[in-house]
Parts: sequence; structure tokens; C-alpha cells
Amino acid sequence: MAIPERKGGGAGKLVFFTLLVLVVGIGYLVYSQFGPDGGGDGNGNGGNGSGPQATGPGTAGSGGPAGHSTGSPPPAGERVEFRIAYGTEKRLWLEWAAREFEKTAAGRRIRPILYGRGSVEGAQDVVNGPGDKPIHVWSPASSAYRDVFETEWKIRHGAGSPILRSDNLALTPMVFVGWKQRLDAYRAKYPQVDFRSVAEAMHAESGWDTIAGKPEWGHFKFGHTDPSKSNSGLLALVLMAYDYAGKERGLEVRDIMTAEFQQWLARFERGVARPGGSLTHSTGTLMKEMILRGPSQYDVLMVYENLAIDYLKAARTRWDELVVVYPERNMWNEHPFYILDVPWSSEKQRAAAGEFLDFLMSEPIQRQALQHGFRPGNPMVPVKFDESPFVRYAKHGLKIDLPRVCEAPKAEVLQNLLASFQRLGR
Amino acid sequence: MRSTALVTLLACVLAIAGCGDGGGGDHGTAGAGHGATRQSDVPAAKRIDLVFPYGSEKKHWLKEVTEAFNASHTKIGNGKIIHVQAIPMGSGETMRQILDEHTKAHLWSPASGAFVKLGNAESETRLGKPLVGKTSELVLSPVVIAMWKPMAKALGWGTKPVGWSDILELTRHQDGWAALGQPQWGRFKFGHTHPKYSNSGLISLFAEVYAATGKTSKLTLEDVEKPETGKFLEEIEHAVVHYGSSTGFFGRKLFGNGPRYLSAAVLYENMVIESYDRRKHPDLPFPVVAIYPKEGTFWSDHPVGVVDRPWVTDAHREAAEIYIEYLLEKEQQQAAMRYGFRPANIEIELAAPLDTAHGIDPNEPKTTLEVPSVPVMDAILKLWRKHKKHANIVLVLDTSGSMKGQPMARAREGARALIDLLGPEDRLSFLPFSSRARWVLKDQEMRVGRNRAQTAVGSLYAEGGTALYDAILAAQEHLRQNPTPDRISAIVVLTDGEDRNSRTSLRQLLDRVRADEEAGVKVFTIGYGKGANEKVLEGIADATQAKFYRGTTQNIREVFKEISTFF
Repeated sequence: MAIPERKGGGAGKLVFFTLLVLVVGIGYLVYSQFGPDGGGDGNGNGGNGSGPQATGPGTAGSGGPAGHSTGSPPPAGERVEFRIAYGTEKRLWLEWAAREFEKTAAGRRIRPILYGRGSVEGAQDVVNGPGDKPIHVWSPASSAYRDVFETEWKIRHGAGSPILRSDNLALTPMVFVGWKQRLDAYRAKYPQVDFRSVAEAMHAESGWDTIAGKPEWGHFKFGHTDPSKSNSGLLALVLMAYDYAGKERGLEVRDIMTAEFQQWLARFERGVARPGGSLTHSTGTLMKEMILRGPSQYDVLMVYENLAIDYLKAARTRWDELVVVYPERNMWNEHPFYILDVPWSSEKQRAAAGEFLDFLMSEPIQRQALQHGFRPGNPMVPVKFDESPFVRYAKHGLKIDLPRVCEAPKAEVLQNLLASFQRLGR
Repeated sequence: MRSTALVTLLACVLAIAGCGDGGGGDHGTAGAGHGATRQSDVPAAKRIDLVFPYGSEKKHWLKEVTEAFNASHTKIGNGKIIHVQAIPMGSGETMRQILDEHTKAHLWSPASGAFVKLGNAESETRLGKPLVGKTSELVLSPVVIAMWKPMAKALGWGTKPVGWSDILELTRHQDGWAALGQPQWGRFKFGHTHPKYSNSGLISLFAEVYAATGKTSKLTLEDVEKPETGKFLEEIEHAVVHYGSSTGFFGRKLFGNGPRYLSAAVLYENMVIESYDRRKHPDLPFPVVAIYPKEGTFWSDHPVGVVDRPWVTDAHREAAEIYIEYLLEKEQQQAAMRYGFRPANIEIELAAPLDTAHGIDPNEPKTTLEVPSVPVMDAILKLWRKHKKHANIVLVLDTSGSMKGQPMARAREGARALIDLLGPEDRLSFLPFSSRARWVLKDQEMRVGRNRAQTAVGSLYAEGGTALYDAILAAQEHLRQNPTPDRISAIVVLTDGEDRNSRTSLRQLLDRVRADEEAGVKVFTIGYGKGANEKVLEGIADATQAKFYRGTTQNIREVFKEISTFF
């Protein structure tokens, strides 16, 4: 039985962000994302809510065999257990996959324990391991932190890379997502949905009354996560900087340290909605807040594409259709799955993790990743077919091809962007 | 949440009587216990107990699903059976109980995320760590203005967006509803709970201040300090009938006493839905509908989280997570919807009773308001203290011989606590009675007369008989001859026995107080000890849509404190 674990933990520390920005590189496609939210998407600390609700079976124990049921637990000791620290943007898909795995012959021998952790937190747990929840597989949102992790491991343990095997599970870019009725009205005023028009809309003197003659909609409410705590919030800043500079490559510190950009950023961030009084720490929480409270809370968000897809149905049944708009310049997450060769990991556990990885990369499971809004990591699984969400939900604005994918900014660029944000006191 | 002092202040004021539906029904004092889940029949050695204090707005739902959970004998990994002891109380009270370690809670669910922020801020100050870590929302309900449907329609509901500015217009008219062609409804009578004690009362103030400034976010101290903000607040507050510690109490009074008592009150959406339950409310004169203020509103989001304290072990966490997961499952969430809550499980489509047939609009609210910073919250509370509807109270205390000893000593203490809690602009008259009533103070403003009032109460001794009805009638006559329509007029009566010496009969007294109902004089009664005639006292309170309390030497101070929340 696969078990979703939860644990509160510290938000990603600045020192780790600093280390992290040193190693942002180019991956499978050009990307520049950190791991998932430092504060923990859904399961990490600091969020005031959770991501999509888990329906996974089992307990949250670190090996206890009993389940969330009154039935007999499976016999302990007969199954090989291993723990996966994962970025929770893929929680729904992973929990589903784990339940499916349980039905297979391998699943009767092997028990993956799902443990939602931010990328930085997951890496810290491994480097400081084993701790009370030993990690055998690390699956952050992005591979950007891999080099820092390996370096830290070498410093601490004097050994080579602990990554025995890896594969990219799924990919997802960033999107603007908003309520159809409101985005239609928005587009009648601003032909393009981009950071510049969002800035204008946020500062429209009488809000929606000025934008679309709809005073009852209040002010235009745009949200992103806290860049100090969450990967998607930081990416929003990076995309703003690229957009402002009008380029996709070679973003320099001098581009973002101009008085004009700094003033523009300060004005933009003053307009960002903080309904709870502060920015949300977690992308999953932010998206769920939008669905639960409808257009009253947010008109438009910047989130991961897969989250927007995953919530399309719930949005429709509760409020209105959601519409996705891709920023003109974009970046990728690729969700690597690292099987670790660490002292607390047995050969049996490593082999079991390998079997689970093979299962995750298998076509049926990858097709389900697609249903959860991810672009499959297995290149054999097509994206363009009638039932693909990218085709089926094309009317929601989903597109397979991204117009422009940006280069990963240099470490000092990211560092200065984050510092610029933090100086704003948000 | 930058100012620790302010956090502490706000946490304290929110905690006194709890927030939301903290009252233990229409009688008695606020407190826990009502609606708690049943004891387990499983031997202690075989079970793991979870203590779960929660905001009592969701009492009926949580009681039902928690008892089903306990009956399922769900186990954790070590084989122990989970037993959840779910305890409803005011949200502020839950926070205070856990922070002060009076309740060794394992999980916690106040009515609103604002309490998680406040609790965590205070916990960080005290212990350098939060009270709870990650939280999940259990259910949601927007804060609304609940109004009788014909009145809401007269205001434009159903044809145009309605909000605080429309309420303000109505309060400005001396003739009340006559301004809208409905003279038969009299004055516009409005209610919200006391913002110092109740979540919905505090939220009402935020909404009023936002409406005054025309903003929906980023409220500043300068906004609050503008003279026009205070004027807006004052004009709306003057339509208030009285305050109170419990949103549930307001709901029950609105539904139970009809439009003669209240035209509208700030409630949670789920309470509007509850008013359509014919078993609970068989005789409503009109349906009640929810107005989602066009200026924006707030959500009550009922977060739940595992408490971060040393007594919470890994086994407790494991059990708590299983229980939370259970609460968020479809079946339990659908049960919550039956009680009028919007499910936090997004897999569930909104359905009846979350529909227009139950007075609400599932497509509302259209916009929400941003939670102000703690310094701004504090400034709003100060502004309210200045511009609130002030009180004009007559304290009628039984000093008959049966009060001798501890009863009199405790009653004096309680009355002094009430006097302490009155605002500087509130007025107090004091009428002790035994075989006859004697005025000790008349119309003393607390700004100058508080010490005198305290001294007068402190000098009482017990002797003589009980002329209860004469005393209440004398208090009533005083308020009638000296009307203060810009104030909350109330009589607070404490007695430990039956009337034996009055010339006035009970029937005469009831006729008199009922006749003065439009003047809005409320008579709060306290039956002190076992000798009081509860039925009579309850009848007198009911005749003025006020409240009867059972008092003892142990709880009398708390009773007086709770009565102070009405002012």
C-alpha cells in the first residue's frame, strides 16, 4: 500500500536558495526552475492549506503497516518499503500511480511511501539523513538542484554522487490561469494577457469598473506565490524580468538592476492580491484557494500548467470555466526521479525503487500523468491525440508548443531578483 | 503580523468569550462542553485519544461525522484504536486554551485562518515555534448580511448588487423602512456580534471600514483615521440593536423573534441555509436571504492542523492525519454540505441546500476583502470603541437576606467585572432592591463615574425581602422617561429568589416591558442559585428578546462578562 506522508518542515532557507542559484543550468529542454516550493506545496510547512486533497489509502506512519481502514493490515516485513520525497505538484498523479502499483504483482512485494517535501527540504533531508524518515528516492520538481545536492553530499560524506539512476517523470511550464468570463472582459480592454497588462489592470483606479464596467467584481486580483518560499513565485519574477528586458537569453544583473525595472517591479508587486494578508507559500494551495473561493478571491494566477489542467473540472462545477494563457516567454519543470545509493538504502530497496520507476515511466501510467496535466517524460507517449487534455481542452487555451522558452538566468541574476523582491517587504 | 504586542492584544480580546457560535445555547454562559463527542467504550490501553477543540459553528456536522469515525474503531500502525474527543467552543477560546495549555489539544480547527495566524504569532513569541504547522481547510462559508426576504427585496436584492452603502442609506433615514415605502416595518434594526469577542463581529467592522474607504485591499492606518471613515462606521453602528458574543445567538434570535426584533444581522452563509430547516425553525414569518455585500466580504475557512506541542507524539500525528483525511473524504464533505457548508473537497459539486431555494447564491461572493494587518485591525477596533453604539444600562441587583455571605460577595465581584468592561461613554444606573428598590446611581457616564459605581456596588449588604417586579418596573420607568434612542438601553437583573414583596404583578410587568419593545429596552435576567424562578426570569427576558442566564457563585463573574458583550 502506498502511503502519503505529511510532515511540517522549515521553509527553504535563503542559504539553500543561494546555493541553488549557483547551479541552475540547462536540462532536457531549456529550463531554469528550482525544485518545488520551498515552503512545501501542500505538504510543506507554512502553507495555510493543502494542495488537491489526497485520497490515497494508508497511514502516515514511517513504516507502520496498518491502513486507514478497519481491515487487517498487510503483513509487515514481507514487502520492501522505500520512501520517496517528492514535490507535491504531482501528488494526485503519484498517489494514483501508487494505488495502481499496489494492484500489480510487484506492488504486492513493494511498498512505496510517498512523502511530500519541497525540493530544498528533500535534499536537506537526504544530506542530513537518514533521520526518522529515511529517504530512498528524491523527486523534486526540477533537476536544477541536482548539482548543489551532489556537491553537498560529497562535502558531508566524502563520497561520489548518491544518485544511482534517474529519469524525468513529466514536464510542465508556467501559465496565467483565469476565469473565462473575467478574462473575456479583460481581453476586451487589454488585447494581450501579459505582465504589463496585468500591472495596468491591478492598478486600474476603479478596478473592474474601469476595466469592464463591472464594479461588482471589485478590483482586478492577480496572484502568485511568495518567491522567497515558492519556486513558482520566483519563476514569475524571472519571467517578468525577461519580459521587461524583451529577451529570452542573456539576462544580466544590469537588466534587472535598472531603476526603471526596479520601479516597475515594485509597482507590480504592490498590486498583487494578498487576500489572507500575505502571499501564499505554495502553488497547490494558491490554485485550490482560487477554486474554493472562485472569482471573489483571484481573477488570474500564475501557476504550473499541470495544476491549471488538474482543476479545470472542479472550477467548472463550482464557478466558471478556467482559461489558460501562456506567457510569451516561458520555462519548464521536468520532475526528475532520483534513486539514491545511500548508506540507509539496501540493494533490495534500490531495486524496488527501480521497479517503481519503470512502472511510472510505463505508457499507461505516463498517459495518466497526461490526464493530470503533465507532459509525459516518456517520449513514446504521445501528447497530440484526441483524448489528450492538450487537444481536448484546447478551448481552454491549452497549447502543446510554447512560443519562447527562456534560458536559465545566471545565479547572480536570480539572487538579485530575489533580493529585489525581499527589499519590497512583501 | 509584525507587532507582537498587537498580536497579543488582539488574541486576548478575541479569546475572552470565543468567536463565532461560542455560546452554549440561549441559556447559560459561554464555554465548552455542549455538543462534545461521546466517551469511548474502548479500554484506554487499547486506544489513542485525540483531543480536538474546534470553532463551534460546525458543531452539528463534526459531532455527526466524528461519532461515526469513533464507532468505526479505525486503527493506527501500532494497532491502537483512534478516539477523537471533539470539543466545540468559540474559536478565540480554542486558541487561548491551547496556547495556555489548559487543553492539551492534538489538533485544532478555528473558524478562520486569521486565528491560525494569531495563534502561530503568539506561539512564536512564547516558544519560538508555531502552534500548528500546515493546515487544510475543512469547509468554507462566506460572511453575509442575513435579511428577511421582503426587506432585502425592498432594498433592491435580486435586481441589483446590494451592500453596506445601501445599509448606510437606510440607517440615515429617521423613518427607517418608511423611506422605502414600508412604514409597517418600523426602524431598521441591525445586529452583529461584539468585535472584541467574535469573528463575525470583527469581520463586520473590517467590511464597514472597507466600504467607507471604497477599498477592497491594502487598508492603511491613514484610511482608518479619516473622519469620514468614523462617520460611516458610526451611522451604521447606530442601527445596531445590541452586540453579543455569539453569531449563533444572533442567528437564533433573528429566526426566533422575527423582523420586529431584527431586520438583518451579519451571519455565516450556512446559518441562512439552516433557517430553512423547518424542524428547527417551523414558524418563520418570511424566508431569510443572504446578501453578499457588493463591496466584498470574507470567508470563514475552518482550517485544521496538528498542534506542535511536546504532548503530540508521532502516533498522535499519525492518528490526526487519518482523521483529517477522513473529514475531507467525499462522504463526510457531503454531510457538511447538508449542514450548509461549502465543501473543501473540490471533487464535490455544489448542490442543495447550497442553492437559491435556501436563500443563498452559490455564485457569490463576487469579490473578497483582504485581511488587514494587525496594526490596522487594532486601529479599527479603537475606531469602533469611539463610534460604536454606546450603552445605557440599569443594573438591578437583589440584596435580599437570602443573598447573605458568599452569594452576595460573588455577585458584587461579578457586577464589578461588568462595570469594568463598560466603555467610558457608556452610562450606568444602579438600583439595588430587597423589600423595596432604592436608586443609588442614575445615568452615570463611566468616563467619570466608574469609581463611584464600583464603590456603590462594593458597599452592598444583604437584608430584607424580594420586590423583584417593582424594581424592574422602576428601572423600566426610568429608561422610558429618559429615552436615549442613540444608545443600547438595557436592564440587567440579578435575583436569587422569587418575588414576594412587589405591588406589581408579573402580568403587569410583562405587559409593560412588551409595550416598550419598540423603544428597544432589553431586560437581561440572571437566576442566581437554586432559589430563583427560572421560568419567570426567562419569560421577562424573552418578552424583550434578551437573554436569561443561570448564575452560580462559581460562574457569576463569567455571566456578567458575557452580558457585557451585548454592549
